[in-house]
Amino acid sequence: MMENAIKRRAFLRKAASVLAAAGVLPLVKAQTSSQASEALPSFTGPQANPYWNGVNPFVVYPQKLPLLRLTDRGIQLETPRQYFRTAFTPNEAFFVRYHLDLIPNSIDLSSWRLNIEGNVEKPVSLSMQDLLERFKPVSIAAVNQCSGNSRSRFQPRVPGGQWGNGAMGNALWTGVRLMDLLSAAGVKSDTVQLQFQGLERGPGPEGKGSHAFMKSLDWNDPVLQESIVAYQMNGEPLPMLNGFPVRLIAPGKFSTYWMKHLTWIRALNKPDDNFWMATAYRIPDTPRGNTTPADIAAGKVKTIPIGKMPVRSFIVDPDGSSKLIAGLPVEIRGVAFSGYGRVTKVEVSLDGGKTWQIASLGAFYGPYSFRTWSFQWKPTQPGRYTLAVRATDEQGNVQPDEPVWNPGGYLWNRIERQDVVVGTAS
Amino acid sequence: MKRYYWMLLVLLGVWVVAQDSSLPGLKEEGNYTQGTLGQVLQPLPVTNAQPDGVYSVGAWPQYTPELADGPGKELVQSYCQVCHSSTYITMQPPLPAATWDAEVQKMIKTFGAQIPDDAAQQITAYLQAHYTPETRKQ
Repeated sequence: MMENAIKRRAFLRKAASVLAAAGVLPLVKAQTSSQASEALPSFTGPQANPYWNGVNPFVVYPQKLPLLRLTDRGIQLETPRQYFRTAFTPNEAFFVRYHLDLIPNSIDLSSWRLNIEGNVEKPVSLSMQDLLERFKPVSIAAVNQCSGNSRSRFQPRVPGGQWGNGAMGNALWTGVRLMDLLSAAGVKSDTVQLQFQGLERGPGPEGKGSHAFMKSLDWNDPVLQESIVAYQMNGEPLPMLNGFPVRLIAPGKFSTYWMKHLTWIRALNKPDDNFWMATAYRIPDTPRGNTTPADIAAGKVKTIPIGKMPVRSFIVDPDGSSKLIAGLPVEIRGVAFSGYGRVTKVEVSLDGGKTWQIASLGAFYGPYSFRTWSFQWKPTQPGRYTLAVRATDEQGNVQPDEPVWNPGGYLWNRIERQDVVVGTAS
Repeated sequence: MKRYYWMLLVLLGVWVVAQDSSLPGLKEEGNYTQGTLGQVLQPLPVTNAQPDGVYSVGAWPQYTPELADGPGKELVQSYCQVCHSSTYITMQPPLPAATWDAEVQKMIKTFGAQIPDDAAQQITAYLQAHYTPETRKQ
């Protein structure tokens, strides 16, 4: 290990001197700051939010760095753009999204249990120690993205959490295979769905969505084979606001299914008709989940539960907070992912999407992970440029340049753009 | 030779005068303003915690902006805040009057909020008076 590090440093020194000899400037990153010059003025709409993040103040919460506050009871916090420079999003910057306001401040693992019940041969109740000692640990890198990520882009605007692009994050999740846990209980053959419930509760009446948050996945959904019950996030215990002590990881699916503080797994022999399945988190059964306000008003739209995440890519740097300098190279960089399989291509445009060039891809951490990408650009002429990025996944899905609209504000995956200004060097 | 030095000095003087300030390239300095962010304190390490099964964090802080002043504000604060802070209102984009009506009805019918008809009408009227595209102040 040590020897490798020394070799690597020596290699980098050598590479740097070769570059210097060839007269190539070392790569310079664009400057970024949360408040480079002037503070962002308040903006609520009714136009689309033109900024990368939602326009909200930084706030601090336990175990978190300053994040952007959408709401404070229940708690919804957005991750600032700068934390997406790396493939793995730091736990302390990872976004937070609750539905209800009774969120645990303290959990006693001496009495907490994960209960597997319902339509099973033998209900089981497992302590954290059971999870750690009786089951083989597995790890998977997977993007957790809110169904309503980028909802503030919608036109006309729709009610709901007004996220910019920061309701997402990627982590290495470690825990126990869901199927290993279910084997211990023996799921009966007439099971149609698995219901997941955590410690998130609300003061509303029993039987209403304001009382409890529950989500279900179909028993024949292939995602169950890849799902894990995670007790580690990037090699650390989960922050309370990200679901301590364990949460469900459903790779490729939107985070609505990634139940936090997971405490009950219930086998159901009839479909879940609770509010969070029957009414909320549903998308039009149309290409891209796209529809119009007129079709909704006419009652013409059939809906289905939301599922996999469409392919997306993001420009993280340069972020437009500072001018670039003509003649000085910059690295355009960001992340890409798809719930439909690995990202195979990322393209960058320097002219607002008219022409495209291939970006280089960073390390591969698995099909459900963020994939970093970068593109080296030396702007030679001062002026205004519109950068754009689009990704393609292994199924051949390419990000479109058309917006999407549905009343829930779900499934946004339009091509992202970033305006930059290049100044003169003399 | 001396004449050249004088010419250089004169040229330098002209160049300095042409600048916005006395230092080369300096466009502005000494501009301060009052910051608007509060202090952000560091977390206390949990080294005094018991080595038992209890895992705790502190209270969840609230950062709730002021609602617009007007009739119905107190009803919004008392009824809506049973389940959620009023940040759920201020966070929304300006929404059409009909959407606010639908939101209040959703809270009552779908989520089971116990709001008398008269109060619900006043709450809807308040939201429409302050949070539509026509009425909302940024």
